[in-house]
Amino acid sequence: MISTKGLRFKYNQNQQLFNFPDINLSASENLLVLGKSGVGKTTFLHLLAGLIKPQSGNITICQTEINKLSAQKLDKFRGQQIGLVFQKNHAIRSLTVLENLKSRLYFSKNQIQTSVIEDVLKDLDLLELQDRNINELSVGQLQRLGIGMAVIHNPKLILADEPTSSLDDENCSAVIELLFKQAQKNNSNLIVITHDNRVKPYFQNAMTL
Amino acid sequence: MNIWKISLQNLKSKPLYTFLSVLVLSLSIALLIGINQLKASFEYQMENNLGDIDLVLGAKGSPLQLILASVLHIDNPTGNISYAEAKKIAKNPLVKSAVPISYGDNYKGYKIVGTTEEFLNFYEAELKEGQLFEKSLEAVIGQSVAERLGLRLGDKFLSSHGLIDNDIHVHDDEFVVVGILKPTQKVIDRLILTNLKSIWDVHNHSDEQKHNNNEVSKDKHEHGEAHEDHAHHSHEDGEHSHDHSEEHLHEDHNHSAREHIDEDKEITSMLISFRNPVALLNLPRRINKDTNLLAAMPKFELNRLYEFTGVGFQTISWIAYIILFISGMTIFISLYKMIKERAFDLALLRTYGASNFQLVKMVSYEGVIIVILALILGFFLSKATLYILVEYIQSGPQYDVIQNLPVIEYLNIIGLVFVMIILSIAFAIYPIIRLNISKILRDEK
Repeated sequence: MISTKGLRFKYNQNQQLFNFPDINLSASENLLVLGKSGVGKTTFLHLLAGLIKPQSGNITICQTEINKLSAQKLDKFRGQQIGLVFQKNHAIRSLTVLENLKSRLYFSKNQIQTSVIEDVLKDLDLLELQDRNINELSVGQLQRLGIGMAVIHNPKLILADEPTSSLDDENCSAVIELLFKQAQKNNSNLIVITHDNRVKPYFQNAMTL
Repeated sequence: MNIWKISLQNLKSKPLYTFLSVLVLSLSIALLIGINQLKASFEYQMENNLGDIDLVLGAKGSPLQLILASVLHIDNPTGNISYAEAKKIAKNPLVKSAVPISYGDNYKGYKIVGTTEEFLNFYEAELKEGQLFEKSLEAVIGQSVAERLGLRLGDKFLSSHGLIDNDIHVHDDEFVVVGILKPTQKVIDRLILTNLKSIWDVHNHSDEQKHNNNEVSKDKHEHGEAHEDHAHHSHEDGEHSHDHSEEHLHEDHNHSAREHIDEDKEITSMLISFRNPVALLNLPRRINKDTNLLAAMPKFELNRLYEFTGVGFQTISWIAYIILFISGMTIFISLYKMIKERAFDLALLRTYGASNFQLVKMVSYEGVIIVILALILGFFLSKATLYILVEYIQSGPQYDVIQNLPVIEYLNIIGLVFVMIILSIAFAIYPIIRLNISKILRDEK
């Protein structure tokens, strides 16, 4: 359940003003946001994640108007309700796969349950690699871990920024399918932002900026 | 999973940097502890071992050497003096007590000092068990000597000639332990005390032996060597000719009349305390001018020594502070670099729900872990270095010279290190507070 209304954002005085169309997603509805680079796709995603504040307009996620939260409450809300997936996924480099997932739960103040972690590791096909260091993983494995980090705490909203751009076709479909599966499992909204047309066929809802 | 663990993993992921930071910091800590400990020991020795000794009479030479040898018992004496002559000065009405001491031998490196009962008064030393020496070859030993050599009442030992432990010149006369002193934390703890007669007896006996040897061998070189050995003292400085003639005198009288009364005997030095400090104004100068004795004032000489060494201590302290500063800079730079390089990791943590404060804690803990490791390593490094310094460069029995540093000094050093690390961290975490998560995440693509 996500809605935005009259979102406007400007980085500084001399730069262009971004005007974003309103969105309105019901529970577990997914959305694909397409657009060329420079139209403000990532800006839109960061607004939704509460990483930046809009000039005007508001964002409501599950009855919470996030643009009105204090910085601390926003940190907490983001940690617990939102999962972010990036194009190049850097997990914490000094930690192993398992330690990364544990620290994700630690920071979002979720209980660290071994069974939950094991489930996710199985879904990601990373169970055997749980004690590996991050730099020992392949690009595809790292991207799968990135998704794991975004879903392990059961978020209401999964936001993915170009999750497939650096992947080959095979990994691309695997990652998209995994994202869908996890969103469905957690009953959460999935919003993917990309210029990658390979993703298009998977979505019913699409919007171009 | 908690922040400590993440900090620890961060450090483990860069072992070389961690090792270097800990090493450099521990080096400066070790230096600070070491130098303060040396300084404290030095001051302690000076303040506690002087007792009431106002003046020391000895053979002409370096006054500082005379004090180091006769008061602190850490150097070789300057030479011998005539007991009679020293006694003449002791008769001065201003003299409260005059204690003769005579050196010559050691047992396993511990100096054997021939003296009188009054010697104990300087150090307020008391018997723990047994009795004082009465007859020749009876010995009263200090606490450290008893402990380290495992000597007990009634034990017998052979002294070796000279002031350093050796197996070559061992005397035939056996000393017997008749008393053990209570610990005093003063120099007397590591001395073996006996009466003057013991020293004279042992040496007259062996002098005779040596003389015979010389006559038999007639080897010029060996003669010279034996000659040197025979002296109760080293020739490290002072007028050689003077020492030389004195030795001949000594030798002569050994030949002619061994059973002479005390007045013909020689002692190493005489420790004097005055009834009135006024005596210090005039008497030492008069003695130095009118007699062939050297009068040295322990307080004055040690203050002089302290001035010399003070500069050294100061220099090393400054070096330690500079290293401390440099290690602070090293830690600051590497934390700062880490924050810059891993900005994306930190931004990622923020998206996981970590607060700014948690990130600051994560970085701070890294610094704190380095400091704790460095403090532990530095502490042991200083202990090990001092131990090696004292145990191997000097001779064994002097380890007790090193005093333990009072806790407050350790706390000072620990406090200083923590102030430095807190400053380093404070400067390093500035970028975290200014972290623009959105920008970092966007730029990384």
